Amino acid sequence: MDHAAPLLEARNISKSFGPVGVLHAVSFDVRHGEVHALVGENGAGKSTLMNIVSGVVQPDAGELIFEGRPVRFEGPRDAQALGVGFVHQELALVPQLSVAENVFLGRYPAARGFVNYGDMRRRAHELLAGLGHDLDPKRPVADLSLAERQLVEIARAVAFDCRLIIMDEPTAPLSDHDAQALFRSMRLLRDRGVGLIYISHRLKEIFEISDRVTVLRDGRHVLTQPTAEVTQDEMVRAMIGREMEARLHTASTGSVRPGEALRIEGGINLCVHQGEIVGLAGLAGAGRTRLLEWLFGAAEAHPRSQCGEARTVWVNGQLANRRSPLDAVRNRLALVPDDRKSKGLVLGASVFQNIALAGGHGRFWIRRSQEEQVARRWATTLRIKAAGLSQPVVHLSGGNQQKVVLAKWLVAEARIFLLDDPTRGIDVGAKAEIYDMIRKLAGEGAAVLMASSELEELMGVADRIVVMHRGRIAGELPRAEATEEKIMHLATGGAD
Amino acid sequence: MSTTVQPAAGKDRAGLSLASLLRKFGPLLGLLILCGALGAASDRFLTADNLLNVCRQSAVNALVSLGQLVVIVTAGIDLSVGSILGLCCVLVALLMHSGVPPLISVVAALALGLVLGALNGILLTKLHLPHPFIPTLGMMNVARGLALVISGGFPISELPSSFRFWGAGSLGWIPAPVILVALFSAAFYVFLNRTTVGRDIYAIGGNPQAARLSGIPVDARLILVYALSGLTAAAGAIVLAGRMNSGFPLAGVGGELDSIAAVIIGGASFLGGVGTVSGTLVGALIMGVLRNGLNLLNVSAAWQTVVIGIVIVAAVWVDIARQRAADKGGR
Repeated sequence: MDHAAPLLEARNISKSFGPVGVLHAVSFDVRHGEVHALVGENGAGKSTLMNIVSGVVQPDAGELIFEGRPVRFEGPRDAQALGVGFVHQELALVPQLSVAENVFLGRYPAARGFVNYGDMRRRAHELLAGLGHDLDPKRPVADLSLAERQLVEIARAVAFDCRLIIMDEPTAPLSDHDAQALFRSMRLLRDRGVGLIYISHRLKEIFEISDRVTVLRDGRHVLTQPTAEVTQDEMVRAMIGREMEARLHTASTGSVRPGEALRIEGGINLCVHQGEIVGLAGLAGAGRTRLLEWLFGAAEAHPRSQCGEARTVWVNGQLANRRSPLDAVRNRLALVPDDRKSKGLVLGASVFQNIALAGGHGRFWIRRSQEEQVARRWATTLRIKAAGLSQPVVHLSGGNQQKVVLAKWLVAEARIFLLDDPTRGIDVGAKAEIYDMIRKLAGEGAAVLMASSELEELMGVADRIVVMHRGRIAGELPRAEATEEKIMHLATGGAD
Repeated sequence: MSTTVQPAAGKDRAGLSLASLLRKFGPLLGLLILCGALGAASDRFLTADNLLNVCRQSAVNALVSLGQLVVIVTAGIDLSVGSILGLCCVLVALLMHSGVPPLISVVAALALGLVLGALNGILLTKLHLPHPFIPTLGMMNVARGLALVISGGFPISELPSSFRFWGAGSLGWIPAPVILVALFSAAFYVFLNRTTVGRDIYAIGGNPQAARLSGIPVDARLILVYALSGLTAAAGAIVLAGRMNSGFPLAGVGGELDSIAAVIIGGASFLGGVGTVSGTLVGALIMGVLRNGLNLLNVSAAWQTVVIGIVIVAAVWVDIARQRAADKGGR
């Protein structure tokens, strides 16, 4: 193998969609055995560049050089044939089939038309072991956790003999703990000479896993450097072109008031005051989502939480009905769900229709002009970037979609906000705007219970951090005392 | 800085583009072209008498399709409407034959349709059946069977003339069933577009999970939706029994498929969240015009069925192809 030449090099790539220039003469390269992080705000051109590298999109200008030879990809198959694999954010697995069947999907080891299941399982097991994991190849993918499914996707890329694997925000849905397991697999692949392109919004992880980093902004190449030689401040500044760090880590607003907005008693004891932001930490599967959805009347209590004990909820000092989400909305609760596309938005409907979704209960007639006025006001306040209120939300960026979900609850005049990973998969600029909004709400006396997989985010925003472990509350840390170590200690079941 | 939502945007410009105009008026354009072609092929087609006749014949399907539309907007399907129509048709005739006044008989038939429809919705939501196909397929068989049982399999003919008005009568030159369709259409239009419940129904079709988590009582809305579908099927039964002067147990056989076809030709999507009253009316008229025109051209009933099958697939294909083109242009 010729390690002198880069594995893949993209030279002066330009691409426009209609009149919109998405990439302007961007150059980029990946070497054998390196993890190359690609960062930038949403809309910076990362996805388009990766779609060009994987043959999904053809560039208008520029060239691709694979192991020293110029190549032209007419479609994704050409890229696959050379060994370019893409692990997508939305996993492309068949849930009903087994791990082994998914790994070899479309290329089952077969003799004379009959699939050799024994051979297939053995090879799948070997591949997974090579990634540092012991996963039963016979298990249906539907039974796997998100982290395990991702592993299956990666194993599939390896089974294809991929020498370049593109990973688009693989850790977005993972807890820090699961992300570590993923990084172990990535390091094993790197040591075997595989080149990895890693797209993420989590800067901390980029410093942890990547060898080099490239920053794109507005379709232009800003910097490529060994990760060890860049500071986080430099990287953030390169991404957004202005100082943002301060906004991510301002001091607590100090808006906590004595009044209790939300109190849970029973198997779980938790209280959120008016004007307070309480962070909810925990590993994936610790029951954060379950707790928030249960509070909102949308899910059963966690099976592993202390059963038998009735859990009661008080809202503003009154015992609350929680038979359905409608009860919660009437109590002026709001839920920003973990998955905005499947739970938060009607994707095909317009910005206005989505914002109006929760506000009309109890009225019979639609008051169109009044509702539009309110929706427009919030869309402006939240700086939702859209062509108009009638634009379908499916065409908005992740950050703007999340702002639409928030606007829906602001229109409904919610006072208690249950936020489940509200900045997942959102670029740095939109994140800061959402933090600002959360603080502003708390400043006006709203209560916020916010779950997040990113400890840094919780430590930056919350007044107090509650840590969950296996469906229960493992401990609580005031903002001043919270450190990553203490939180992880509680989250992994360490004694208080 | 890219533009945020403009405070004074007023009317959104997107509403005026050619693509969206085509989307809005595509089915209507299809209807006009069809009428033009049939008018050229047969000099009897474009006469006032014949066109009024087409409207009268399309009325039953139009009524049933309004209910079907609401169901399809929620990404559902109601296979039982044809059979509910048959059962209500027999019931109303039997009641009148046993001396019940026409008005009370009609109310009873409408109530039966409403209840059977609501039952579809209850079975779907409370038994957590996996897809509306299942409860409505069951109801389709049960209602048809009951229609045959209570009628003994024979038509019940010679109905009071005051009852027959809604199927066979006219107000001036306007056929009474057309007036009924207009009233129902106006009510459904207002319901779907001006009330929060109507808005809920589109949201449920677009994403039931998001609708639920926004506080919309999804189960209650679905029960209402299927009840409305049962109600319009019963209304169709009144018109059909009046026009045919008979309550016959095989009334409305295949009616569920005609109504689904009208709704889909009218631009609604099986995926839910999309569909309009005006489109559905045009869809029902396209079906009616086709049947009438092919009759005038002496095309046999067998070949008519073949043509209608092709039109259904072609209409949806044109819609999809146009959407694809629009999506590409928009990127």
